[in-house]
Amino acid sequence: MKQSMRRIGLVAGREFLAAVMNKGFVIGLLIMPAIIAILVVVFPRLLNRNVPAVRGEVAVIDMTGQVAGGLRAALTPEAIAARRRDSAARALQNAPGVVRDAATNTPAMERAIGTPPQLTIVERPASTDLQREKQWLTETVAADGLRHLAVIVVQPDAVQAAPGSTKYGSYELFIPQNIDARLETELYDAIRESLVSARIQAHNLNRQEVEAVMNVRRAASVTVAVGGERQTNLAFNQALPFVFAGLLVFGIMIGGQTLLTQTVEEKSNRVIEVLLSAVSPIELMAGKILGQMAVSMLVLALYIGIGLFALMSFAMIGLLDPILILYLVLFFLISYLLFAAVFSAVGAAVNEMREAQSLMTPVMLMLMAPWMFATVIGREPNSTFSVALSFIPPVNTFAMMIRLGSATPPPTWQVLATMLVGLAAACVVTWFAAKVFKVGLLMHGKAPNMATLIRWARAA
Amino acid sequence: MQPALELKRVRKTFGTTVAVEGMDLVVPRGALYGVIGPNGAGKTTCIRMIMSILFPDSGELSVLGRRSALEAKDRIGYLPEERGVYRKMKVGAFLIYMAQLKGLSAEDAASRAPKLLQEIGLPDVEGKRCEDLSKGMLQRVQFLGAIIHQPDLLILDEPFSGQDPVSVRILREQILREHRRGATVLLSTHVMAHAEEMCQHVVMIHQGRKVLDEAMSGLRRQFDPQTVYFEPLEANANPSGLSNVAGVARVESVDGTYRITLVPGTDPAIVMARLAAAVAPARVELARLRLEDVFVRIVADGPHGDAVTRALRASVTASSEGALA
Repeated sequence: MKQSMRRIGLVAGREFLAAVMNKGFVIGLLIMPAIIAILVVVFPRLLNRNVPAVRGEVAVIDMTGQVAGGLRAALTPEAIAARRRDSAARALQNAPGVVRDAATNTPAMERAIGTPPQLTIVERPASTDLQREKQWLTETVAADGLRHLAVIVVQPDAVQAAPGSTKYGSYELFIPQNIDARLETELYDAIRESLVSARIQAHNLNRQEVEAVMNVRRAASVTVAVGGERQTNLAFNQALPFVFAGLLVFGIMIGGQTLLTQTVEEKSNRVIEVLLSAVSPIELMAGKILGQMAVSMLVLALYIGIGLFALMSFAMIGLLDPILILYLVLFFLISYLLFAAVFSAVGAAVNEMREAQSLMTPVMLMLMAPWMFATVIGREPNSTFSVALSFIPPVNTFAMMIRLGSATPPPTWQVLATMLVGLAAACVVTWFAAKVFKVGLLMHGKAPNMATLIRWARAA
Repeated sequence: MQPALELKRVRKTFGTTVAVEGMDLVVPRGALYGVIGPNGAGKTTCIRMIMSILFPDSGELSVLGRRSALEAKDRIGYLPEERGVYRKMKVGAFLIYMAQLKGLSAEDAASRAPKLLQEIGLPDVEGKRCEDLSKGMLQRVQFLGAIIHQPDLLILDEPFSGQDPVSVRILREQILREHRRGATVLLSTHVMAHAEEMCQHVVMIHQGRKVLDEAMSGLRRQFDPQTVYFEPLEANANPSGLSNVAGVARVESVDGTYRITLVPGTDPAIVMARLAAAVAPARVELARLRLEDVFVRIVADGPHGDAVTRALRASVTASSEGALA
């Protein structure tokens, strides 16, 4: 027994070092943070840099005669920039204080606002033929480089409701093909702004008063728990379950993929029989699974560490319940054992990676299944569907992890039950996989299918 | 003392193919046994059963006094026919890993590896990756992986396959050295000449059955040579003097040497004395018995037709010539 443990340890140690001590691993490790960095830092710069300001003409057919002036004011570059700044500030309301302070009034913010479009408003008389105006939109760009960007038709009852009605009329907006979505939004905002202004004026109301009456500041909620109170952060709460499920899948993929390729390689380069003269197949399999588990744990620890560091530097660490990390580790171990056993059995059964594909498809589907359910579970973590999934291996651990990360965590007995079911499933699968592994290692020749594997397991 | 290896009525089938049938074998401790036979005879299957990599359908097996090699793994050194290495691993690290798996401490393994590499003629490869070595060099490294823990029983499946003559010589010396150290050695080969040169005892397997199990010394006696080579001192000597000697059945001339076939049952020593008396000799030599002749003779005596024998002789001769080239 002691000898056996020693050999398992040796195999695990070699697997770990072989996986960690190569360039590919380091690159793989850095690629995720690198992608995130690119998305956060580089991408927005690329997006907003050197975008030439949109220049063009907007035709307005104002049936009321009261809106065009306001519209002209609302579409000046300054007004557009001001609106953009406002909406950026609104978006930052949910962000943690540090981020908000850091982001406001910085070059980054200015970049996000960008160069506002230079629009020329062309007023048309109410009697204008709409068909001709539409035709005007499709005409090629005029010699002065001004594009024809929109035709706005303000309906006659848009400012004052028709007699006998409480409903206001609205407007029609015609645009050519290939118009910037942001510009379209800005047109909507400007029309809305000018219409509201005109209506307020028509009713002799005080705009500031109306706005003050309408304005209710949205407060961040505070989550009250047994341990104390902490600031709720909606975005964080929504993202957390997915982050957890993602880490779980990611951890399994790292260890599992390497396990598969390593086993196939050992088999195809015939090192396996040399090994089998020193260790039993079960010792070999156990050692390999443990070694790759260590690799996955290392990667997970690194990413969790980065995550915690980020939370701490944004002063958001209080949002995370530390027990969740313990659960994540436990669920990872259970799911990893189950999937790793399957990965190693497939690796032992086939002769080369190409043959592994057909056997891997169902396994990958199972690994990806939680993603399909993630949104449903995240939205209603205590629905019958969610609870049922928490007890069906192999998705149970993912489902439970999503539920644990959600705002309404499940009762403790369910968490324990998920663990027990997961552990039982992992044991059964490992038992089956070990048999396939044992028989498969020295089998060369035709690629096996599922039926062959079952026959092997029976024979072993 | 119990034998190093004992097989009793071992049988193994793969589907409908009988790979090994009624195999009895006893290898005493300290012996150097050769298992010979053409490709596909069942040698590797036998060895894999001895190593508990395959399990017999029926029959009994004992290895170093244990019921299975699994219980004596650390005292056995094994070089499989299908042998590989971790391509990206350094040679030294690979040897140390193998030694550790066989129960050696990390320190012992680390001190032995460079010494062994030096002895086998690969002094500078310790820090190289396995994939950077030639096939012959790798085979030597793999051999070291099998002996680094100084096993009591050394099992080598086709140790010389794919080796150049220099590698073959180095490996042969190392195997003999392990044998002198006290290890029991069992090696399989389809090249009869290799077994003939090294082994004290040969076991022949043909179509899954043991057809011969003899000490090399006894083998020579049992399969009496019937051919004598005679080279006369003077080139123009009269060959009719040779054919008239009692006990000579036939005389053929080959490049100035005479190949003399004896009458079956005659004592070659007496005939050789008579030949030397009849014509002054430069050289009188009893033709060396070749294992492949013995093998072919055994197979020919069996229930097989001439065609089988001819095919066999062709395959055996071709492979031994290939190895000697």
